Amino acid sequence: MHSAPRLNVSAILINAAALVLVLSYALPYIYLLMTSIKPAADVQQIPPSFFPAVVSFENFREVMRSSTLPRAFINSLIVAVLTTALSLSVAVPAAYVATQYRRRITTIFLLFALVTRMVPSVALGVPLFQLLKSLGLLDTIPGLVLAHTSAAVPLALLLMSAFFEGIPKELEEAARMDGCTRFQAFRKIVLPVMTGGIAVTALFTFITSWNEFLYALLLTSEATKTAPIVIAEYNSVYGLAWGAMTAAAVLYSLPVIIVTLALQKQIVGGLTFGAVKG
Amino acid sequence: MAGIELRNINKVYGNSFHALHDLSFDIRDGEFMVFVGPSGCGKSTALRMIAGLESITSGELTIGDRLVNDVDPKDRDIAMVFQSYALYPHKTVRENIAFPLLMAGLPKTEIASRVDEAARILELTTLLDRRPALLSGGQRQRVAMGRAIVRKPAAFLMDEPLSNLDAKLRVQMRAEIASLQRKLNVTTIYVTHDQVEAMTMGDRVAVMKGGVLQQVDTPQNLYNRPDNIFVAAFIGSPSMNLYEAVLNGRTLTLGSNLFEIPDRVFECRPLLNGVSNRQVIVGIRPEHMNDAAIRPSSAEISAPVTLVEALGSESMVHLNIDAPRVNAGDPDAVADISDEKAAVARFSPKSTVRTGDIARIAVDAEELHFFEPDTRTSIW
Repeated sequence: MHSAPRLNVSAILINAAALVLVLSYALPYIYLLMTSIKPAADVQQIPPSFFPAVVSFENFREVMRSSTLPRAFINSLIVAVLTTALSLSVAVPAAYVATQYRRRITTIFLLFALVTRMVPSVALGVPLFQLLKSLGLLDTIPGLVLAHTSAAVPLALLLMSAFFEGIPKELEEAARMDGCTRFQAFRKIVLPVMTGGIAVTALFTFITSWNEFLYALLLTSEATKTAPIVIAEYNSVYGLAWGAMTAAAVLYSLPVIIVTLALQKQIVGGLTFGAVKG
Repeated sequence: MAGIELRNINKVYGNSFHALHDLSFDIRDGEFMVFVGPSGCGKSTALRMIAGLESITSGELTIGDRLVNDVDPKDRDIAMVFQSYALYPHKTVRENIAFPLLMAGLPKTEIASRVDEAARILELTTLLDRRPALLSGGQRQRVAMGRAIVRKPAAFLMDEPLSNLDAKLRVQMRAEIASLQRKLNVTTIYVTHDQVEAMTMGDRVAVMKGGVLQQVDTPQNLYNRPDNIFVAAFIGSPSMNLYEAVLNGRTLTLGSNLFEIPDRVFECRPLLNGVSNRQVIVGIRPEHMNDAAIRPSSAEISAPVTLVEALGSESMVHLNIDAPRVNAGDPDAVADISDEKAAVARFSPKSTVRTGDIARIAVDAEELHFFEPDTRTSIW
């Protein structure tokens, strides 16, 4: 006997709740997108409209013509890529040792990493300024990379620790029995298994640096300014250039969206790592 | 191939926990040695120390004639099969099996031929291009074996390799591993908590408890001549029944039952001669207690039946013997829920005893075991 397809009320409710949640996240971004494609005159109209009456790319043309933004984009990209590389090269091996060779000291080490996340960035801004100044790294790309790395490493460390917790110790031991040194076992066996986790951590580290505002504001001036600073500068003493600002913000968000979509499979794999027994 | 020698091996962890005490014995070249014991007895620690995955606090470990205390696992020329198999999930079966050969720097043609040979022996040929996630538990176990045998190492170490398989597959794989080991004739150390695995697979079995080696011997000798009550109770299923009793001359008093011990027992155990009113621990294997209605004996006791488990080929009869029962000290042992005084007897399926009956039990008195109450060691 065939039963008629039943209306699954709970599934509808769950999907509706998910839709509301997604919209609440996406709405500001959609509004940003809509504003960026409005003609300059429509941007500041009262009352404001959500959708543009006419689609115009005038704002995009304006920001592309500006002399500062392309340079700031390149600075942001260099800083974010170097920060990600440096943070991962420190955090991945550190997290592995902290989780797989657990001692009292490694627990304290991880706890300390957590504590550093609790200190407000603004409190660290001044000491960082002094430190970089004394090292002659103020207003330099390496200086900003070091500052961003100091903020990104604890996050990367905590994320990678969670991923490494899900990996059986026997995997490294089997590799050592099969002829590997500890480092070879880590490089040839453990790292390839962890690609999903590393991809997730790399993405979050990249975003941390890409979106970072405060350190960039404190530690850079003209030459090394990153894009968030330049975007904020559209709000100047001469007025608020909403159209250009939103267009620059949309352009600035694109790399992260593209990278996220490109790494989607690894991210989902990484986020569910260890949840399902293999 | 090589023999393995352990001399006064100790393991003390950083928290002062003494996991292994003066472990000493030899494993002969080509021998299948099984480490068995309850949880926490130190059997896996001992195996991991032989593998080089745990440091040795004191003592000497030699493989072949080489002292290997401080030698890296990769340089010990031994292969290990892990309980979880530890297959590399990102590699195919072929790449998994080939990995140790690749690390050894063998030429590609030799690697290919050795992998094919191992796959043929283990019937993995059709699975070589699959990832471990697509294999069943039994197939994964075979791949782990393949990764071990392909290297042709001096010794195999196996840490409870069958414990993740279902009961039927476990029996099949047990026979396959034992026959493979005989075929390859490679020194093998196999860790298990399952005494049936230990008895059926090992040339010799090392029984451990609380980090102390209790006895190393052939399965038959462990069963027939246990050194102490722990080994006596641990080896054999159901366990040996252990009771406090009193021996006076040739008469044994077991609760309210009295019976004569045959002369042959005193010939085998001269220390029992001339004993007067001496407290002993007596051990009776389940198969040495029969239904007196079917197999009468001069040594009979009677006891109420608390439970009968008919298994077809035999019946497990739980009896309430009115003598103080002795705890053998196995932390994993499950107390008989029918009664704390319960003994288990293995009756013929023809027996008609039922729960609640007062059964007459014929004890095979020649097969009784005797232990010192103080030291808990065998009296010989």
